[in-house]
Amino acid sequence: MLLQLAWRNIWRNRRRTLITLSALTLGVLAIVFLHSYRESTYGELMRNITTGLVGHMQVHSRGYRETPEVSNYVPDAVTVEARLEAALPGARAERRVLGAGLGGTEHGSAGVMVMGLQPDDEGGSHLLTVTLGHGLSSTPAREAVVGRELAAELGIQPGGELVLVGQAVDGSLANDRFTVVGLADSGSSEMNASAVFLHLADAQDFFGLGDGVHEIVVHLPTDDEDVSRQLSAARAALDVASLEALPWNELLPELRATMEQKRKSQHFIDFIVFLIVALGALNAMTMATFERTREFGVLLSLGTRPGRLLALVLTESLLQGLLGLLAGLGLALGLLYGIGQIDFSSLAQTDMMGVRMPSIIPLRVQWQAVANAAVTVGATMLAGGLLPAFRASRLKPAEAARYV
Amino acid sequence: MSPKRNPTTLALLLVSLLPASLALAESPPPKDVPACPSGEAKPDVALLTQRTEQLLQGRSSVGTMRMTIRTPSWTRKLKMKVWSKGGDFALVRVLEGGPRETGMMTLKREKQLWNYLPQAGRVMKLPSGMLGDGWMGSDFTNDDLVKGSSLSNDFDSRVEGTLQHEGRNAWHVVLTPKESATVVWGKVELLIDQASCLPLLERFYDEEGELTRTMSFSEFKELGWRTFPTRMTVKPAEEGRETSILYEQMEFDVDIPDNTFSLHRLQQGR
Repeated sequence: MLLQLAWRNIWRNRRRTLITLSALTLGVLAIVFLHSYRESTYGELMRNITTGLVGHMQVHSRGYRETPEVSNYVPDAVTVEARLEAALPGARAERRVLGAGLGGTEHGSAGVMVMGLQPDDEGGSHLLTVTLGHGLSSTPAREAVVGRELAAELGIQPGGELVLVGQAVDGSLANDRFTVVGLADSGSSEMNASAVFLHLADAQDFFGLGDGVHEIVVHLPTDDEDVSRQLSAARAALDVASLEALPWNELLPELRATMEQKRKSQHFIDFIVFLIVALGALNAMTMATFERTREFGVLLSLGTRPGRLLALVLTESLLQGLLGLLAGLGLALGLLYGIGQIDFSSLAQTDMMGVRMPSIIPLRVQWQAVANAAVTVGATMLAGGLLPAFRASRLKPAEAARYV
Repeated sequence: MSPKRNPTTLALLLVSLLPASLALAESPPPKDVPACPSGEAKPDVALLTQRTEQLLQGRSSVGTMRMTIRTPSWTRKLKMKVWSKGGDFALVRVLEGGPRETGMMTLKREKQLWNYLPQAGRVMKLPSGMLGDGWMGSDFTNDDLVKGSSLSNDFDSRVEGTLQHEGRNAWHVVLTPKESATVVWGKVELLIDQASCLPLLERFYDEEGELTRTMSFSEFKELGWRTFPTRMTVKPAEEGRETSILYEQMEFDVDIPDNTFSLHRLQQGR
């Protein structure tokens, strides 16, 4: 009955209602679409990070992060890896050797970062997209895959010879020759311009590490940003006096800060949008109640209780909110599913704090954003409707009925 | 010297060496080497540095030395042989070291450095950006090898006064970079022994005025007309690091064939 009355009432001034509804619709559309777009980007970025070079978490020898020297390594790396995989069901750990060196060809030389990694069973590595030639063999064969830009700088092609010089763990001169088998994109411009990838065993041999590694990267079977629970489990399984486990967001603190900053500014924009919508709604509802002063007077004179009047006006307001929400959601979902994915691959690839921004972003509806929009609309329309509704319920019947 | 060498060869060898070493011991300093102005309170620094360079470098030199590198995580020793000709040509060859570095060579030709890498069997030119890096992981930089002791071109110098250093009277010389010079140091302090005109200590400061490393000279030995510091020690600001070089044998002003400093020869690993 109340709902029916309210429904009839809001369409009495069709134009005003449509204006209010369009403001609400656009507000909801903006919130849901922008949230979903941003979170889809972050989700994709997260996937790049956690499945790629960074992983969900990393284990280093304590102090390695402050002084990343080749002599600061994890000696019994295979044991540590096994312990991590046992403590984190479904997780995949990989060992890496990292060291600085000098790479030289007959055309020139440049400072390089040597990364020893475990190739996949069938050769190659999921971390690298080979752009020319092929990936590393699954068994050590003194092969090297070189970052694309570094290869251009050194003037080297697959089949060429690369001489590496560095300092071994015992301080002695590490030097050897490797055959370049491929050029690769590692998903980070910095790495592409400096990295030489070797088979883990070749890199261990080069730096005289034995079975030691510098980094154990853990990939978890989750898309969640928050991995604090798994981190505690990992730390419990490790000798934390000599080892240090850090989650991706502490490994990339600038990235996390940027994400948090953008989320905060998004909330601020949401607030401004809905403040404007709320003021519009307040105005519209105030006008609507003013226009109907006589009507309310008559209703009160006929014995309608003030509480019921209050409920009626509030229902009208919330009903418009619901309509606006549904229309906005409909548009946002239509837009998100309609676009499907945004393809940035034609643009230059950019890095954000050393992490490649994803070039293809599949848009996903963020139900969190939908919930946010619903709550915000509800609150807005409640706030916008409350004052006029309260005013209407406090009218004096005799005066109001004579109001022109 | 192999013990199997027959006495005749040994005698021949001795005979051929004798005149040279005698000449070395008896010959007075060459005329172009300025005398040491030991008595002066504020001598001409240009003259001092010229003398020092001639003293330490000679026309040419051949020597063997031991290098000890100490860091918090490891200590290692290298034995090497060094040939030099003037300030522009030098060759260092590692005689004893780790299995992958024995036979390693560094060739300096004017301002450029090449390394021969024995394990790789290849020569690599050192990029100019790496001149400031340590040579073979030591605290002597590649730049130290390239520039030698030639501070006089890039720095203005003045004698600040005299002071005592380990029982010796020394001039305190302060060098500041010339405006046109591109140097890594903001200031260099030098203590020069008044008796021998030899450097005792060199302190290097960065542009912020922080002491970044100290080089000291000790164990002076007579070698012909020269008095020569046979030990050089570098201590960087970093805690627990130190590199010292001890000359085991040193000969100055010897004839060295030009092809010693040939890049082609280096590439063959000889």
